[in-house]
This record gives sequence, structure tokens and C-alpha cells, in this order.
Amino acid sequence: MLAPVTYIQPLATLRRKRRLPVEGLVLVNLGDLVHCGDAIARANLYTKHIMLDASRALGLQPERVERHIQRSVGEKVDEGAIIAGRRGVGARQLRAPASGQIAAISEGQILLQVSDESSLLPARVPGQVIDIEPGRGATIECICAWVQCVWGNGHFAEGNLQLVGESADHVLTADQIDMSLRGAILLAGHCHQRQALELAGQVPIRGLVLGSLATRLLPIAEKMAYPIVLTEGFGEISMNADAFKLFSNHNGEQATLNAQKSNPILGDRPEIIIPLKDVGRPPQPVQMQSFRLGHSVRVISGAEKGEIGEITTLLPASTLFPSGLRAAGAEVALSKAGEITIPLANLELLG
Amino acid sequence: MNGQKAAQSLSLVAIDVGSVNTRAQFFDSVEGRYRFLAAGEAPSTVGAPVYDLNAGVLAALEQLQEITGRSLLAEQGLLISPTNENGIGANALATTFSCGPALKVITVGLLEGVSLHSVNNLVNSGYCQVVESLSLSDRRQPENIIDAICLTLPDLVVVGGGTNRGASRSVIRLANYLALALTLIPEKQRPEVLFVGNDSLRQEIENLLGPITKVHITANIRPSLDLESLGPAADQLGEITFSIQARKLGGLQQLHDLAEGHFLPGATALGRVIRFLSTVIDIPKGMLGIDLGASNTTVAAAFGGELQMGVYTGLGMGSGISGMIAETHLPQITRWIPIDLEDDFVLDYLYNKPLFAQSLPTSPEELAIEQAAARQVIRLAIGKSLSIFPADAIYPLPGTVPWFDRILISGSTVTRAPRLEQSLLMILDAVQPVGITTIILDQNNLVNAVGASAEIDPMLAVQVLESNAFMNLGTVISPAGVMRSGSPILRIQMVRDGQKEPVVEIKEGGLQVLPLPTGKVADLYVQPMQNVNIGLGAGRGGWVRRVVGGAFGIVIDARGRPVQVASSFNRRQESLQSWQDALSGI
Repeated sequence: MLAPVTYIQPLATLRRKRRLPVEGLVLVNLGDLVHCGDAIARANLYTKHIMLDASRALGLQPERVERHIQRSVGEKVDEGAIIAGRRGVGARQLRAPASGQIAAISEGQILLQVSDESSLLPARVPGQVIDIEPGRGATIECICAWVQCVWGNGHFAEGNLQLVGESADHVLTADQIDMSLRGAILLAGHCHQRQALELAGQVPIRGLVLGSLATRLLPIAEKMAYPIVLTEGFGEISMNADAFKLFSNHNGEQATLNAQKSNPILGDRPEIIIPLKDVGRPPQPVQMQSFRLGHSVRVISGAEKGEIGEITTLLPASTLFPSGLRAAGAEVALSKAGEITIPLANLELLG
Repeated sequence: MNGQKAAQSLSLVAIDVGSVNTRAQFFDSVEGRYRFLAAGEAPSTVGAPVYDLNAGVLAALEQLQEITGRSLLAEQGLLISPTNENGIGANALATTFSCGPALKVITVGLLEGVSLHSVNNLVNSGYCQVVESLSLSDRRQPENIIDAICLTLPDLVVVGGGTNRGASRSVIRLANYLALALTLIPEKQRPEVLFVGNDSLRQEIENLLGPITKVHITANIRPSLDLESLGPAADQLGEITFSIQARKLGGLQQLHDLAEGHFLPGATALGRVIRFLSTVIDIPKGMLGIDLGASNTTVAAAFGGELQMGVYTGLGMGSGISGMIAETHLPQITRWIPIDLEDDFVLDYLYNKPLFAQSLPTSPEELAIEQAAARQVIRLAIGKSLSIFPADAIYPLPGTVPWFDRILISGSTVTRAPRLEQSLLMILDAVQPVGITTIILDQNNLVNAVGASAEIDPMLAVQVLESNAFMNLGTVISPAGVMRSGSPILRIQMVRDGQKEPVVEIKEGGLQVLPLPTGKVADLYVQPMQNVNIGLGAGRGGWVRRVVGGAFGIVIDARGRPVQVASSFNRRQESLQSWQDALSGI
């Protein structure tokens, strides 16, 4: 059975394609080094317009007003400038109510673009630009340690990793947060305190990595201005051992926290990237595989959620589970809970 | 490859690509009748890390090949040919898909309650999400409307308005705003336009919008004020949906080409089956079909061959649970759980499910939560569908669903429940039918395949529908009306093989089963008490002829409508358990 994968890699070559939703301007060049917050492209996504009715202003039918329009599409005008008008003393005229650019002319209507709020496309990952798609974006490559997560609140930031506590099930509480953590990306096993999240935002920290978050805190986490990611999910679940070990090994180092929302179609997942230097060029992550004996897996649902183990036996589709459902399964030797029988659908490969 | 359908029977492979699972199903003729024979299943690979849905298709076919012992795959590809002989490959291929994100659609109409309402109905019959709507009653300034169109970057704009002898200038005015907005969007990102308005404006719309973007034109969906005709437009919408999705989803075009056009959205295939089945039901009773998917839930209702569809994107049992959570209070879910669970436990499970859409419940507690969630998802979908059911159907109780003669349900959460009584209870609790209804379980998730194969060989579709591949769970009699707790509400007498059985008196509250073995036929005389309606009118009884027994025989759902569940856990548990016991025969 084809297996979903979560990547927890101490050494990987990542490539991220960052692309504008519309044509725009690419701001970087091949070979440029970028940080996660650097803008790599720009597009006009948030324009505002004013509709001017030349037909009504001049008192003419739409088909007769065209020849009185004195501007063309693309032309810039200042506030008060004549856009359309008839000749003669006291003749009716249409003037620009604000500075802008003529965006369109049609059927006696003139669309004036008055605001041009460019939308900048941030890199969201650190690295080097290795490919440019003219007018749309760029591909960034990063050699790094890499941990994929399951949930993020959409923000991103850079900062130094700071473990709070010494175990993967450490609970983050408000009394552990103080000004010494300012600018850090905090890591802990679990948080169930609203005050902790809010205080962290006030310090402010740069980001928060948790194994799990109390479900009732989800609306608050969504609103926080700093990135928050979860490695396991909602509830009270310790961070998985592989991720915790990797973070421990890089405690204090610079990292990028990209808490992007998951999009299975595009392959977007929240992630933590720890750039590495002088480590050569490791291969790119392996793509899809099937479940096999000896594979290292993570449990993604059930009482052992978050636990890591190794497949010791593959079981047929008729395997019966306590819920009464039958499904293909596996016997997995977990590091803590011993051997369990679990549906393959409730496992992920660790890549 | 498929060629024309053979005069003799053929073997057929059907592939269904969902958001979580891809299925391959095999049909062939056995003793002169088409049968469903085997299925393979694999995780869908439309997204990361493969980005090609054909990897999942291949895995499903490999499993199907292993199960059937039949060569379906070879080095040169799929062994599908009309000339394939018995035992090698198959003669035909039909495919359906329901994967991929919903299309972002802007709907445009003149009046909110007329043309815009119909355009929204059309769009909601496909895998689409309405992100913005425009009408004459829009109070926004024209420039704000234009900015809103540009900001949403839709995939498609559907424009309706004007009966065929009606408004035209207003339609053109709205189309002008649209044209202006479209010119501001870079050419490669411009949405396509589907015009479904006043037929007399076709050329003008083409002249106005054709130079700007790709325009599709089809028959007016509102040719007159009192007629809504979505059929041709729905077909066109399906084709447009495919062409847009094919640009986004890796492998979709290749699969379409492989199927040589026998390729439908899953919802369309379901709709075909429901519409066909409705033609054998006496009007004004209807046929209801529900497909409870991971990302979407589809409701198809047909009355005398007239189909209404609702595809509720973002409402389902995988990633779609988020959509359900957004519209639900926790007690609406926990009321269906017969186990005493902490609210946090339930919430944790529900919020984690979209993160791992493919996961399965392994404990009785998790199963109970999933089945409760399934009830709520279906209830929400039915609630949203009430407005599309025809006003002239039979409504034994105002505000509820009309009388459906049959309900067909598909979707693994319901069809693969460990116990059949769980499946039936989910349907009864969620849909809460009224009248006399036969419940059909699509236990092998075949309905999409049947709908898609109908155009290749209609006989295959008919014979598979008639086979035991679809399970008759039983005929449910659901009286509605003013009923005092515990009081007699109904008398029923079964006549089987010419023998009259004793009259059974049904009291309000609970479920009761009258045994009638699967496939056995009986006549029922049903006499409701005053103020109780079984679909024939308050207090009116009559014969129900040729009722076919199902897995649960005849079920009387005397719980009333809406079904009330006690708020206290002990009483709730007692009720839920008693309903389950009634069905399991304890």
C-alpha cells in the first residue's frame, strides 16, 4: 500500500518553488541568497479603482462619448486633470477625482486605478535562488535539517531555536515565558494555556513549535501574530522522538519557521528549516514508497498517536480492529508502548 | 480503445479517483447477467508527494489484478479493448473523479431570488465554491464590484439572467462590469465565462467577452420565470470543471484520454443513477441519493426523472470535517454518541481528523465519534438541500424532507460500518425520512461506476443496480405528526403469500422491526391514527403493495420528527442503545 510520508531529516536538500498567483515582477536573480522574509517577487494584487461615468458627466449617449475622452488606457493622470470633455465655453467636463492611472475605457465608463498596493511574495524559506520563472517567481534551494509538521497558523519567521524543558512531553506554561526568550523560536511538547500563548506574543517570541495544542486554543493560535506549528496535532500529544532529537541537536541555532497552511494538492505543509553549512550536497527527499517490513513509521491516530516504531509484520485487509472495522494493518514495535496492531491508514512513513 | 459497445456483453473496469482513495472495480457477465465481481483500492496520489493521480490508479489496478487473477496491465499499458477475449483485460473503461479543490466561481444574475438563485443552484450542483455573487440589487459601487472580482481570482464566472423574452439591457450592463474587471486580470489568469442567461443575448455576450476570455454558452437555465432547467448547463459545467481541473491536477488529462471520454465527475455519475431510478417511482414520490465523501457530500434528488443536485464542497468525513465543525455546536454531535466521553476527547478527534483524512477509527470510542459526525454532516447537507426539493412533492411534515420512495447512500463511513444496524441508524438519524422509504446501501461504493458505465452499456448499469451488489436494508415506515409519547400511532397488517398476519399496533417512541426476509414480497395495510401522516394524508391509511424484504425487514421509525434525543447522558444512552437493540434483534 502506498504510504504517506512525514519528513524529519537531519540533512536534506530542499527545493521550494515560490510563485505569484498572477504575472508580476521577479525581484531576485539567479544565485542570490535569500532569507525567509526577503521579497522575491511583486504583483499588483490589491488595486483599487474609481468608476467614472463619462456618458452621464458629458450628457451624451455612450456611443457618442468615446470621441470626447481625452485619455488612453495606461495613461497617468493627476487629481483634477481633464479626462473627458466637450469643447466650448462652459462645456461639460469630467475631471479625475484623484491621481491615478486609466485602467480601462468601455461603453462610456472609465476605470481609474487610484491605489496600487503591491503584494510582495516572500521567500518563506532561506537559501539560494537556483531557478527563475520570469514574471512569476523563483525556486529556492536550501541545504538543511528539516522537520515537517501537521498544522500551522500561516505566519513565518526566523529566529534561534530554544527548547523549553528537557523532554518531548514538556508542557509550556506562562510562568516559563520571560523577556530572555525574546526573539527566540520556542519548542515544547504541549500547551494548554491561553495565557502562555498571549504572553509569548507580548515578549515577543519569533515563533512556537509544539508537539500538540489543546483544541480549544485553536482560535487563539490562529490569531497570534507569530508563527505556531504543531508536529503531532491537537490534544495532549508529546512531540515525536525523532523531531525532538533533531531539535535538541540544533538547540540555539538559527532556524526558519514556515507555518504555512497545509495544501495536499500543492504539497504545502508547515515546516521548520535549519540551514546547514559545509555539509556537502545531500540528496533530495525520496518520494512515495509503500509500507515494508522494517520501515520506521509514526502513528497518526489513536491512543499511541505521535509514537514512532518499526513495522515488524504486515497484515491483510481482513484484520479486525477493536472498533469492529476491518482493514489492512501492521504490527509495529513502538519504543514506549511495545508492539501494537494498527491499520496502515493510521501510519505514516518517516522520511 | 473502448470502441462502440459490443452487441454481446462486455467486461468493464471502472476507476473512481477520490480525494483520499482511488478505486478500481471490475464488472463482467456471469450466467447472462452483469455482476460486480471485484475491487481494488489504493490511496489517491493526486497531491504530494507524487502529484500524479495515475500512480494511485495503477496501484488500485494492480490490487484488482491480484484479486481477480486477470491480466489488466501490460508493458504497453492498460489492457482495455472491445476485442479482448475472456480472461484477458477488459472490453471497456469508465472513470469518475471527485478529487481536487473546488473551483472558485463567481456567480452573476439579475435578481437574487430568480436568476442568481438559479445560477447558484447550477454552480452548487458541481464541485464548485461560490466566492462572490453579483446581482442588480448589489449595493456596492461598480468599482468595488470590479475590485472584488479581481481580488478573488476566480476559476470561472457563471452569468445568468433574463428569461428568453425578458431582460436584456440589465444583463449586458452586468456583463460590462465583468468585462472591465476581466481586462484588469492578466490574460493567463483570467477566468472562463459560462453564459446561461437570455438566449437572445448569446451573440452580444460573445462579442463583449469573447475577445477577453474563453466564453461558453449554453441554454438559458431560466427560460421563463416559472421554469428552471439546469440539465444542459450542468453538463457543460461538468466539462468546464474537467478542463480547468486537468490543468491543475497531474494525470487527470491522461486518465481522461485513456477512458476515451467515458469520464464524469463523481457527482454527475451519482445524479444519473438517481435520475434513472426515479423514473420507475410513482410521482410525486422521489428518489434520494447521498454520497458522503471525504472532502464533499453530494445530495441528488429526482422526481419523475427531474434531477436536483447539491454538491457541498468542504463538507465531508476527511478534510471536509472542518466544514462541518464550522457550522455545528458540539452537542449536535455528542447527542448521537452512546458512550460517556469528555468533550475534549471528542473535539481532539474531530479536529485531528482533517489533518489525517485517511485515518480510521480503531477504538469503539473513535468509531462512535465518526458515526456521530457522519450524521451531522449528512444532516447539514440535507438541510442545505431542502430549498432544491420541488414544492409539489409530498411533504407529510412541513419543514422536513419530502417523501422519498427510496434512499440510496454511498460513502465508506456509512457503507463499511462494522454492523449493518449502525449503517441504517446513521441514515435514519441523519436524513429522518418521512413516509414509506426503502433504504439501499451502496456497500461496495459502486454508484459512481454504475453511473459512468451507463453510457457504455445501459444494461450493465441496470443489472448491477438490480443485483445484490446494492443491499436492501429494508423498508422504513416513518409516521409524522402530533404524537403523544407512548400512545398508539399506527396499525399494520402484513399479508404474505396470501396469509394475513396478526395486526400489529405501533406505539410512539423507538424503532420496531417486522420480520420480512430479504427478497420476500409482502403487502402491508397501514392505518395511522388521527393526526398521524405516513404520506397519504393525516389519519389516512392504505395498502402498500409489493414491499420487498431487506436486511431488517420492515422497520417502523416511531420516534417522531425531528428525532429527539435526551440531553442527559444516561437517558440518551438508554435511547440510543434501545434503537440499536431494536434493529439487531436483541
